[in-house]
Amino acid sequence: MTTIRRRVLQAIVLLVLALASLVELEHFWLPTIDRPPIRVLDDLIPGYAFALAGLIAWSQRHWNRVGTLMVGIGLGLLLGTGPVPTSSPLGEQQNFLGDAWTFFQLVFGLLWAVALFHLLLVFPEGRFVSRLDRQMVLSLYVVVPVSGLALGVLALVPNQSIDAYLGPASDRFAAVGITLVATFVYYLGCWVLGLGLVIHRWMRASPARRRSMSPVIWSLIPIVLAWLGPLETAGPMVIWGVWPRLVLVTPLLLVALPVGFVVALLRSEHEMSSVGDLVVKLSDGMLPEQLQPALAKTLHDPSLEVLYWLPTLARYADLNGETQSLPAPNSSRAATVLGDPGGPVAALLYDSSLRNEARLVDTAAAAVRLALENARLQVQLRAQLDEVQQSRMRLVEAADSERRRVERDLHDGAQQQLVTLLLSLQLAKAEAIRSSDSKTARLLEGSIESLRQALDELRSLARGIHPTILVEAGLMPAIRSLADRCPIPIEVTGELDRIEPKMETALYFVAAEAITNAVKHSKGQRICVNLCRSSGWASVDISDDGIGGADLSQGTGLVGLADRIAAVGGRLNVLSSHLNGTTLHAEVPCG
Amino acid sequence: MIIADDSVLFREGLARVLEGADFVVAGQAGNVDDLDRLLALESVSLVILDIRMPPTQTDEGLLAAKRIRQHYPNIGVLLLSHHVESHHALELLSESPEHVGYLLKDRVSDLDDFIDAVRRVGTGGSAVDPTVVSQLLRRKRSRDLVDELTDRERSVLAQMAEGRSNEAIAKALGISPKTLEAHIGTIYSKLGLEPGGSEHRRVLAVLNYLRSS
Repeated sequence: MTTIRRRVLQAIVLLVLALASLVELEHFWLPTIDRPPIRVLDDLIPGYAFALAGLIAWSQRHWNRVGTLMVGIGLGLLLGTGPVPTSSPLGEQQNFLGDAWTFFQLVFGLLWAVALFHLLLVFPEGRFVSRLDRQMVLSLYVVVPVSGLALGVLALVPNQSIDAYLGPASDRFAAVGITLVATFVYYLGCWVLGLGLVIHRWMRASPARRRSMSPVIWSLIPIVLAWLGPLETAGPMVIWGVWPRLVLVTPLLLVALPVGFVVALLRSEHEMSSVGDLVVKLSDGMLPEQLQPALAKTLHDPSLEVLYWLPTLARYADLNGETQSLPAPNSSRAATVLGDPGGPVAALLYDSSLRNEARLVDTAAAAVRLALENARLQVQLRAQLDEVQQSRMRLVEAADSERRRVERDLHDGAQQQLVTLLLSLQLAKAEAIRSSDSKTARLLEGSIESLRQALDELRSLARGIHPTILVEAGLMPAIRSLADRCPIPIEVTGELDRIEPKMETALYFVAAEAITNAVKHSKGQRICVNLCRSSGWASVDISDDGIGGADLSQGTGLVGLADRIAAVGGRLNVLSSHLNGTTLHAEVPCG
Repeated sequence: MIIADDSVLFREGLARVLEGADFVVAGQAGNVDDLDRLLALESVSLVILDIRMPPTQTDEGLLAAKRIRQHYPNIGVLLLSHHVESHHALELLSESPEHVGYLLKDRVSDLDDFIDAVRRVGTGGSAVDPTVVSQLLRRKRSRDLVDELTDRERSVLAQMAEGRSNEAIAKALGISPKTLEAHIGTIYSKLGLEPGGSEHRRVLAVLNYLRSS
């Protein structure tokens, strides 16, 4: 909406407001029994309050339907029959002008209440939360005026000629009764359901949203009381002495909604000063980790998040470098993207109720802009590091699965075929013996022996590539099996249950390499392997009583092991001395 | 008997070798489901099966062996594998060593030994691969009584752990049954084991001793 159009609209509203006041004030001079002068204020005060709050909302947040609705309610209250129609206009005989006015009121008089219902359901964003809300509101916009129209036509048109079409007057009044009751029941049903929904949403809302919904919740009290008002005469509540007085004030309490709205506006103006505190804190220097809590405090939204744009990866990430995405439009989260023409720098994610405080959000965002740029560089580094770590882990995993595949191929292929060949040679040998061909039998025996040795070698090769026991039974049995085959006695101690396969594989190959090194180089007499698990880490210690001399900075073997362990997020330490031999300590996270 | 292995050539070869030694092969199975079907149909005294079977090629055979032992206590199970692991051996034998065998596939290279093992398992005895026994014997224990055995006593212990009968051990080591019994007595007292019990039972006693640390 352009500024000029808005100005014109505002002028029209003010004009109508003045006219409406005149109509309403007329009651001061021409009081009726049903509307004493004092009750006129019931409509006048809430009417003005809504209209003015609506105009303020228009000027501040012209995109929001809340302003339009409040102006509408205000005008409706001033032009209509008041929150609780106290007299039936049907019984009064008046002139044509009076009839026209009554007819107008019948059709449009209650629309302000539908608009109020609409406002309660869409506050504070100004858009419907669910389809049910939308359907209820739209149907009331149709049902209420249409039934008013029907009522007017049936009850007010006094022309006898119409009787020919619509039947005798008594039938018409019966029809009027049914229309009234049906409309009223539907209208009341919508209100009960709508208020229930609003209360339910308020109870489930985040703190930030509750704060912004508070004007609506306060205004629910007069609305419910206003509905209970007509019951006053019907039930035992008459005994309750204060009740009539309460009902007298209730329409005035509707003022809570527009007043609460304006107070919230003023409050957000006041909160601008908290941005000043933020700037002061920033000038004292602030770590990237402190930015998010500081912003959350300034904007009164504990759920606020800061996301940083990573141009190289073309995605948003949080402070830890983990990928995050912006919320979908119309979700319960809203985002403000900060950046320059070159592209975004960061984004603030907050509860969508903060949308109404866009100025506060923008001001706070502008204040932290420079700090966000710095923080982004850090996040970018972290994200890249994360990426590198991930790819290193993928490489190790790929190598491991390749090892498993080779081992399986050897097992299902070469080993199986050689054993089958062994069987054939046995059969041939049996045949040779049966035909007393001892020379052939001897030759075959030699072949069988070589084949058996070949199988032995193939077996230890396959085991070195990837031991099946590691997959089948876990690290502890695999290391025991390693120890069982070692020429130096190995004592295996400790306990370790199954952990993630890639962690088991990493620890296994460290142990295997360490044992091989100890056998080859340490000149020790015994090796101890200890496994244990404590506070989220699984560890293996391999120590020998040899001559020491192992060093992580020398030789590719140990460095390769350290890389392998680091790839799965673990650590490797080497302690080596002439006196105490060598101890390798490897640990990996295990949840 | 039933032979279960996913390689048809190996099954055929093994069947011919065993039939040559006067065994009756009642059926062959390429996977565990076929094996279960055969078991329901045929009445056999022994199942020879590979540890790695389809579909995952990991320990299907081992699980099938445990199942057979549970449902058919009178059918012997001889597990064959390209690798033997003392872990699997102890897991299999610790419940009951009768009717159970666990050998490397390459053991078919010594046909007499292999057929002897098949016969033992088929008649309620045990067969443990020598590799498993020697691995267990090499295990370093904190208070190792095995160190106090003489070499001859250790080879007797190993043969006992493999599941062989007194007769076979005496023949293999070239000693008289009487001398063997004297050796066995010394081993039992040195290791602090309860003497007596059948030849099957003592496999478990010896293995349990070797396993404990």
